[in-house]
Amino acid sequence: MIRQISRLLPAQGPITAFVFLNTLEGLEHLPFDAGVEEGARLFGCQPYLDEDFYREQIKRGRISPDGLREALRDDLGDAGTTRVIQRTTRYELRLAMLTTRLRVGRASELRWFVAETNALNEFRAEAPAAKVQEILSETKRWALSAFAPPGERPSASFDAETEARLETVFAGLPERFGRTRMGQWTEATWVKFSLQSLWRMCRAGVEAIGVPYPETGLPPRLRDLLLRETQEDVDVFVHETLVRFCAAFTDQGFARWELPDREAGMFQAFCATYGQGFGPPDLLFQGLGAELVRVRAAGLTPLETIHESLDLLGVPESEWRERITAKLIALRGWAGLIHQMDVRSDRVARPVPKDSLIEFLALRLVLERVACLNLAKSRLGFSGSLADLRARLLVRYRDSRQADVEPCAFELYQLAQLFGWSAGELFELSTEEWQQLVREVDGFRPLDRQKILHHAYEAHFRTRALDAVALHGRSRSPGACSAVDPSGLTAPAFQAAFCIDSREESLRRYIEEVCPTAETLGVAGFFGIPIYFRGIAEANYSTLCPVVIRPKHWVTEEPIYTLEEQHQRRARTRQMIGTATHRLHVGSRGAAGAALLTMGVGVLASIPLVFRVLFPRLTARIRKRATNWVNAPNQTRLRIERVATEPGPAQSQIGFTVDEMATMSARTLRDMGLTTSFARIVLFFGHGSFCLNNPHKSAYDCGACSGSMGGANARTLAMMLNDPRVREKIAREGIVNIPATTHFVGALHNTCNDTFTYYDLDLLPQSHRDAFEAARLTMDKAAKLNAQERCRRFDSAALNLSPEAAHRHVDGRSEDLAQTRPEYGNSTNALAVVGRRERTRGLYLDRRSFLISYDPTQDDAEYTTLGRLLGAVVPVCEGINLQYYFSRVDSTGWGCGSKLPHNVTSLLGVMDGSASDMRMGLPWQGVDIHEPMRLLFVIESVPEAIEKIMGRNEQVRQIISNGWVQLALLSPTGDELLLYRKGQFEPYSLHAEHLPQVASSREWYRGVREHLEFCELTGATGTVSRP
Amino acid sequence: MHDLLVTWLGVIVVAAPTVQVLILGGCALAGLALPERVIGRLVQTCMFTGLGASLGMLALMLTFGTRMEILSLGNWVDIPEYHFMLRFEFDRLSIPFALLTFALCGTVGAFANRYMHREPGYARFFCVYALFVFGMIIATLAGSIETLFAGWEMVGLSSALLVAFFHERPSPARNGLRVWSVYRVSDAALLLASIALHHVVGSGDFGHILENRSWPDGHAASAITPQLAFLVGLLLLLSAMGKSALVPFSGWLPRAMEGPTPSSAVFYGALSVHLGAFLLLRFSPLLDVSPGLAITTTVIGVATTVLASLAGRVQTDIKSALSFASMAQVGLIVAEIGLGLRYFALVHILGHACYRTLQFLRAPTLLHDYSLIENAMGQRVRNSQGSFDASRVRPGLSRWLYRFSLERGYLDALLTDYIVRPMLGLFRTCERWERQWTALLSGRRIESPRPDLPTGPEDFR
Repeated sequence: MIRQISRLLPAQGPITAFVFLNTLEGLEHLPFDAGVEEGARLFGCQPYLDEDFYREQIKRGRISPDGLREALRDDLGDAGTTRVIQRTTRYELRLAMLTTRLRVGRASELRWFVAETNALNEFRAEAPAAKVQEILSETKRWALSAFAPPGERPSASFDAETEARLETVFAGLPERFGRTRMGQWTEATWVKFSLQSLWRMCRAGVEAIGVPYPETGLPPRLRDLLLRETQEDVDVFVHETLVRFCAAFTDQGFARWELPDREAGMFQAFCATYGQGFGPPDLLFQGLGAELVRVRAAGLTPLETIHESLDLLGVPESEWRERITAKLIALRGWAGLIHQMDVRSDRVARPVPKDSLIEFLALRLVLERVACLNLAKSRLGFSGSLADLRARLLVRYRDSRQADVEPCAFELYQLAQLFGWSAGELFELSTEEWQQLVREVDGFRPLDRQKILHHAYEAHFRTRALDAVALHGRSRSPGACSAVDPSGLTAPAFQAAFCIDSREESLRRYIEEVCPTAETLGVAGFFGIPIYFRGIAEANYSTLCPVVIRPKHWVTEEPIYTLEEQHQRRARTRQMIGTATHRLHVGSRGAAGAALLTMGVGVLASIPLVFRVLFPRLTARIRKRATNWVNAPNQTRLRIERVATEPGPAQSQIGFTVDEMATMSARTLRDMGLTTSFARIVLFFGHGSFCLNNPHKSAYDCGACSGSMGGANARTLAMMLNDPRVREKIAREGIVNIPATTHFVGALHNTCNDTFTYYDLDLLPQSHRDAFEAARLTMDKAAKLNAQERCRRFDSAALNLSPEAAHRHVDGRSEDLAQTRPEYGNSTNALAVVGRRERTRGLYLDRRSFLISYDPTQDDAEYTTLGRLLGAVVPVCEGINLQYYFSRVDSTGWGCGSKLPHNVTSLLGVMDGSASDMRMGLPWQGVDIHEPMRLLFVIESVPEAIEKIMGRNEQVRQIISNGWVQLALLSPTGDELLLYRKGQFEPYSLHAEHLPQVASSREWYRGVREHLEFCELTGATGTVSRP
Repeated sequence: MHDLLVTWLGVIVVAAPTVQVLILGGCALAGLALPERVIGRLVQTCMFTGLGASLGMLALMLTFGTRMEILSLGNWVDIPEYHFMLRFEFDRLSIPFALLTFALCGTVGAFANRYMHREPGYARFFCVYALFVFGMIIATLAGSIETLFAGWEMVGLSSALLVAFFHERPSPARNGLRVWSVYRVSDAALLLASIALHHVVGSGDFGHILENRSWPDGHAASAITPQLAFLVGLLLLLSAMGKSALVPFSGWLPRAMEGPTPSSAVFYGALSVHLGAFLLLRFSPLLDVSPGLAITTTVIGVATTVLASLAGRVQTDIKSALSFASMAQVGLIVAEIGLGLRYFALVHILGHACYRTLQFLRAPTLLHDYSLIENAMGQRVRNSQGSFDASRVRPGLSRWLYRFSLERGYLDALLTDYIVRPMLGLFRTCERWERQWTALLSGRRIESPRPDLPTGPEDFR
């Protein structure tokens, strides 16, 4: 059971290898809406953004009214026409509740609001004038018959029962305004009377039938019950000790003293350490030592201790699952980390023993019950068993629970004004009708409203995006957009393959703008080569492939033979410097050494302090110059060819055989559809991000390389494909015929400062220099334009920077210690296009789209290529997208909150401030401009293909059919689109007639910081037409 | 000419932080939201002006060979038994502190300007930050104990507010409150000390208390007997213990790491944490009078260092490790003061402040730095030298010591359970008595303090 629950815990291991997975991966078996709702319940987080945010978007036109209506109709189905009250349907009621900001709050707050504001004296500003008049005239008519002095009543009087009811509901109200002079009341008096009688009526009506108590979250834990009684939170004490101990247990070698008995496992180590005498004197932990000694002496395994603790806490077996879930989730960061260190022990330097999560739980339960017992004893004077305590408190808790009338009544009161329901009309409703009314109002919970608003929010973007793709296909003239000559006679100027990452979208666009004859491709950033890689000046292997794959091959970087000696010498120097730095680092935190240090040279520290903070770029340049003489030689080779038969980390086992190389590289080429029309120069760009002061740096690196830099994969692939033996083998098997004139170059794109590193240029044939030089010029130009576009998103960069200034700006960001937003990563991602680049070439996609190259015309009848692609791309992109989604909708709950108080712990992750749960997810500074939406996949394929693939791949099926991503299909032969909804493909009809057209990207985004619509780039000077 | 220059420079030094806090605070009060750029510029200008003027003052004193300059802004209260003079002293103790304050706060201000970008509490941060600088300058330049107290209070207030900067989470608010309550104890001690000094010397001016000599040559006024010096000195020591996180108040320092990194750096790595040591330095002539006081000071300093370096050894997160490292050095500094090594202590403070600030600002870069070091060394880095082996002395001792360090010497628990709880209990009892008494007098029935609870704890027995 614990193992099942552990699937709910965050799957983030050490932060140095940031993992992009769906935050709620454990709930993917549920449809999206149900899944997030369940997640919200379990984790106590927000599943969507709050209603006010969406209403603001309605105002700004980001949610269209039509879209909202459609989303609501979609949700209601046929039930929309159900009558709530005679003249209002459920659809109308819900629409009003969606669009209007009703004041809600706790009863006490509303009582204050009613008493202290004009809520009962003036109609709401949004109430339509006609409805106000309706209420006024209706109230007048009704009040004159109900309250006028007997002689003046126009019609027959009411029966005795009604009279009595009138008296109780409206007691004293007419008198307040002068009952006897009712006929002469002014209009203003009538307004007040109408509203106040309406309020009385709403309250009385709701009171008469009662409101069901909202069942939210899990049933209360003993801690919650005690918190209610004593205002003291056991979790505070338990967590303080537990966090400290978890940090000590998981520590990767930061502390000078390590935890004694760490190898014996968490529970044993704790028992040994805390079981001795003279322990912590905290009142709440009295008797803890004795208890630990007892548990230890009894020889209980951690699992048995859990059983024992649950029994002692009085938790019935039926509640175990919920209870254990709650307890693990209360400190989910640490629990998740410990679990990951156990199951993915290959990802940490010092893994933890098996089943540490169980020990963690056992420990937690022991601490909790000791603390609860002590708290009950000291504050409640209770000395019985915990089970007894829990039973008693639970009774008390249930007794004291009652829902207040005001929240529901006040909501009703506000709605009545919008719909023109008057007090008289409501007064005449029967009990059943009241029940129906309250059910309707109360039953449309905030969560339901958020859901529909969110769907409308997504729908708006979906419409724009699909329109753009379809319209672009219609208007595109084949020659302008495709670099590849359809006849296949002239090859493109050069080809450049990038990661599918949404950050590369703009760079690719600029390459095509600068050099219209260049062709770009998109492929997952590990280029189909999963490896463990160690660079020349690196100590450890890093894992360069998606997190779900375990690589089988090792690759290392070595200096070229002539520089071997220099390399050894420099490595020794570096080692000396490194050792000295390490001594300094550790020593500066001690007592004696640090005293000497600070007294002697401490003041000198002000020099780097001032310079690094005030002139980051200059300092970085000086530092680079100064360290140049010890750096590893820059002429290196990768060792990729294996001598031994089996791959492994030993020197002879490193690399691949020629056969393996041929298989892997041919597969990658086929996946991206690069099988014909090879250019003379083909560039492969891995990517990574260089930045400082950023524990989350790895979240900016390549997601397809488990948060590392993908340069080595690109370089390996290029080396393989340049090998004549590999080419020959591929050609012989009839897969791809690479012309002898083609040369491949691996490179790395630094996404933070937009620079490139090209590898193995010394191997570039003389004949290819010109072609490469031209390509490099294009790349440099495109990089500057790319930096310029990126700068529009940074508030601290001016909007009118020139490309050069922008390039300097992003470079400064990467070197700045104080910069919390070195770049925005995959923020704003919302779209993923799987298909030929021609379908999107010339479309401004605002860095929001993953672009995956796939040529449907080259695929077989079983759609093997597409299946392989989707099998990797769907989970990866969905993971990235949903990680951003959740970190944005509830930054403190799912994400890791603001970066500012983060504190690096155990060399594994970050805590907030001095001690807190391990914080998982993305920081606010990385997601603040993100629009949380489910990813919209546009795949150039046919329904049959998708169905086949979903049948073959369970994970893909689950993600798509449960709606964790949205899916549309673009016909490979035309420009029609099919939208996948509720398990079916429906034809998509266009909403827009034409796309705005501009000459260049710059023209479109100039002066704008916000998200932009998609548009078409004509490449020629045209008129700018914004919608 | 000289006097005029002194007055002008002195006024600028004091005015720069004053203007800053007035503008930022005033705008906050008036509900004006200043753009980030303007706030950043303002902070830079004020800090730079203040730094320039302090340097000018230093140059002036070096040129003319004076050891103490006094800026007097008049008598604000002057009644027979009491006068309050707004007086600032520039001497070899206060000038280095003022320079340090301006330089560090200026640099960290520039850091924070980018670090806090787009943070909702940006303006609030800089408002409190300005208050801190103001308090720091007032406290270091103060020429009388009242002025010092004013600055001392502002430093304490801003410190607690920045610990609780992220007040939407419970833990910063809780820890901010803890810092605040320790500071209150320390403030109360300082206030008592100042009253005692008034009582004995008849004035709070350092000129009178320390006989108008420039630091560190002053000696205690003749009215102060060794016994008195011991008592007053103990009060001052108590307030320094609170402010500088000495034993037994050490627990709050690691908890103060809740605020944004720049404020942690400048408060707990550099300035605020040294303010207690500054106070002791200022009143160091008292230590000369009373050897008992000197010994107590040294013992407390050493005890702090021992505890902090023990606890520092088991810390697994960078900010706690740094805060214990700071604490160890502050303990040493206090011990140095107790031993009479004043210049030594001053140099130690300056060096430590600069070095630690740099370390704090680099704290989020820890993982990056570690990978650099690892790559250079070509192997995994481990700071651990195994667990401390004391089992030869007594079996289990090493484990006991580990737990002792991990729980930070149990100081927090001891303070909470044996001082705070009994005090709270006492107050609650008093409150109950008062209620019963008033109820008796007014003849009303005693109401349950929490009417929402149907029954009290009694029915659990």
